[in-house]
Amino acid sequence: MSDADAAVEVRGLVKTFGDVTALDAFDMRIRAGEVHGLVGPNGAGKTTLLRMLFGLAAPDAGTITLRGREWRPDDETTPPGVSGFVEDPRFYPYLSARRNLELLAELDGVDPVRIEEALELVRLTDRADRKVGGFSSGMRQRLGLAASILRAPRLLLLDEPTVGLDPTGLREVQSLLTGLAADGVTVLISSHNMPELDGVCDSVTVMKDGGSVWEGSMDRLRSESPAPAHRLFTSDDDRAVEIARAESRVTVVADPDGGLTVHADRDILDGYVLVLGRSGVAVRRLELRMTALESMYFALTGAESDRTATDARPDEIGATT
Amino acid sequence: MSAVAAEVPIARRRGGGVGAVYKVEIAKIVSQWLPRVAVVACLVGPFAFAIFINTQTSVPADSLFGRWVHDSGFSIPLVVLGFAGIAGFPLLASVVAGDIFASEDRQSTWKTVLTRSCSRGDLFWGKTLAAATYSTVIVALLAITSTIAGIVVVGTDPLVGLSGTLLGSGRALGVVAASFGIALIPTLAFTCLGILFSVTTRNSMAGVLGPPVVGLLMVVLSLLGSGVVVRSMLLTTSFEAWHGLLVDPTRLAPLGVGVVVCLATSVLCLDAARRSFRRRDFAGDTRNPFTWSRLARGTLVGVGITALLVVGVALDRTWITSERVEGSVSSNFANLAVVQQGLTGQTVDASSFKVFPFCKRESVIAGPSTGAGDDWSCQIFVTGPKIGRIQVDYSVTIRPNGCYTAEGQPALIGPLHLRTADGGTVLNPLYAFDGCMIAP
Repeated sequence: MSDADAAVEVRGLVKTFGDVTALDAFDMRIRAGEVHGLVGPNGAGKTTLLRMLFGLAAPDAGTITLRGREWRPDDETTPPGVSGFVEDPRFYPYLSARRNLELLAELDGVDPVRIEEALELVRLTDRADRKVGGFSSGMRQRLGLAASILRAPRLLLLDEPTVGLDPTGLREVQSLLTGLAADGVTVLISSHNMPELDGVCDSVTVMKDGGSVWEGSMDRLRSESPAPAHRLFTSDDDRAVEIARAESRVTVVADPDGGLTVHADRDILDGYVLVLGRSGVAVRRLELRMTALESMYFALTGAESDRTATDARPDEIGATT
Repeated sequence: MSAVAAEVPIARRRGGGVGAVYKVEIAKIVSQWLPRVAVVACLVGPFAFAIFINTQTSVPADSLFGRWVHDSGFSIPLVVLGFAGIAGFPLLASVVAGDIFASEDRQSTWKTVLTRSCSRGDLFWGKTLAAATYSTVIVALLAITSTIAGIVVVGTDPLVGLSGTLLGSGRALGVVAASFGIALIPTLAFTCLGILFSVTTRNSMAGVLGPPVVGLLMVVLSLLGSGVVVRSMLLTTSFEAWHGLLVDPTRLAPLGVGVVVCLATSVLCLDAARRSFRRRDFAGDTRNPFTWSRLARGTLVGVGITALLVVGVALDRTWITSERVEGSVSSNFANLAVVQQGLTGQTVDASSFKVFPFCKRESVIAGPSTGAGDDWSCQIFVTGPKIGRIQVDYSVTIRPNGCYTAEGQPALIGPLHLRTADGGTVLNPLYAFDGCMIAP
């Protein structure tokens, strides 16, 4: 990939805050027109990176090139065609959503006629005259997207854009972003939730401790991902472990919270469950603990899965007893 | 959300720039309750003051022109100006200036505005211009409403100036307008100070209250001594430069010094604020500039500067001498005697009065009398038509800024109120009078 193809190119980026290194020789490249995911646990450096892409903070070392233009410390303005938000979008609480957008349009020199269109795109038209101070987190996210779209971006940088959105809102935002990407807009989405990026992103960078630990296409990430993890409750765990030893493609270990953790692809898992039944071991509950992508994410970042029983999704695989 | 924004051709105007930021900031100021309240106070306050004062039998004689509030409507705006110069204008100016940068921190909106098409420089100057506009509007509003209040409630009778000369309605109106114009200069300097507080502390409370506290500190400092050098360096002294318009002949030197001091302060404050704003890393909202060590350093610097100024004020030689007091009191007396005679229907010429003053401080046993204090006394020997030769004694209180109040003996100068030729009642201008000596 030549530099000309890159909408974002970051090389050797370093940023420290006192003794804390937020970014440590970080590299990243995003091809124009793709949706790129930036994932990592809290404190990995995602937001610091986005702040520097917007010029809100200056790097200690390294280079940033946005849409072919290298950022310099004396650059004061966000490059044309670059838009988005960092952390949760904030607006003037004493003004309505529409008035906030009018003021931002004034700062950008955008014709106010675009405001109605942006409000419609994020489904905020009917609440546009309410003061932002009374908005929920999800409504502020929508308004943040509207404010970003207002600038007619060619590169959209979004920090956790789906936080606070209900499932419908989540799907709407994902649809909006894929629509923008189809029109050639490059989108960078930061998130700590890998499943949210699945189906939206073309490529992904996984961050850990201020560095990049994996970068590539989503397809490659899926292919390199370990088997998904399931939690299994049986009538005889010892016998279930013994049976698994005979099948090399199934890994079963005792779960410290009770039951067993099974690592296997879905078709292998199906076969294993059938074998358990035939062997007189009853399967009382089977639930997805981690998707393949999540397994990969935790393997790459070393982060501990904090999924609880309430987060589990037995419906996804048809739990049996 | 399935439609795609980029499908529509973008209608673009010229974006960003100081002008766009200025328009946005003005729109925000207009929408906020505190600036609105301040504007309402400037609209209503002078009328409430004029009406209240007019219902009282006593007058605020301890302020310049306070003793004339029942007699000339033009005294109302000047009394308001006197009060506003102490802490009013610094506070009103910092309502917007002290909050205009810090509010973006409070609302976490820096990341919103800094990711648009305007540079940090655009934002800085746009916000600064908006704050200066608000300060200008506040001063202008107070000038207009207090003048209208004075004229409507009290009337358009001539005003007695600080040298005892009578100012006709037209000239009084001009002097009032010019006086508020002069007060605008230090108000703008306090606006710049508010911007510095707002940028560096990132705290609205500190930004709004900082400048008036500094102003009050300067007022206290100026009361400690009556020298010229240190007093001239204080921003609050510039609020008194309008006194020079009301003496005869007009003295504009304090205005010149005030302009230089205010300009220098404004440039220093804005330059420091701009540098701080430009190099600021917007790396997170948790980085609070109010650490104990910074607060301690700031306090130490503040205490150090104050101590230096206190020493400076103490060492600064006073310019208030018995010669200057005698010169001012005697001319003031002669001019007021003419006014007094005129009020009672007699026309006399000021040059027909021969006034020989002798002023000294009662507390000084030996040596020259100098400095501010309430122990001055002036014996004034007067010869003139119809009065022959009389001696009038006045107790004089001189304030560190050179303004004074002289109170005489009713037996020799007449009662508090005089009956005019047309049967009305007016204040006896010689009963007690105010004047100002203008510092060299």
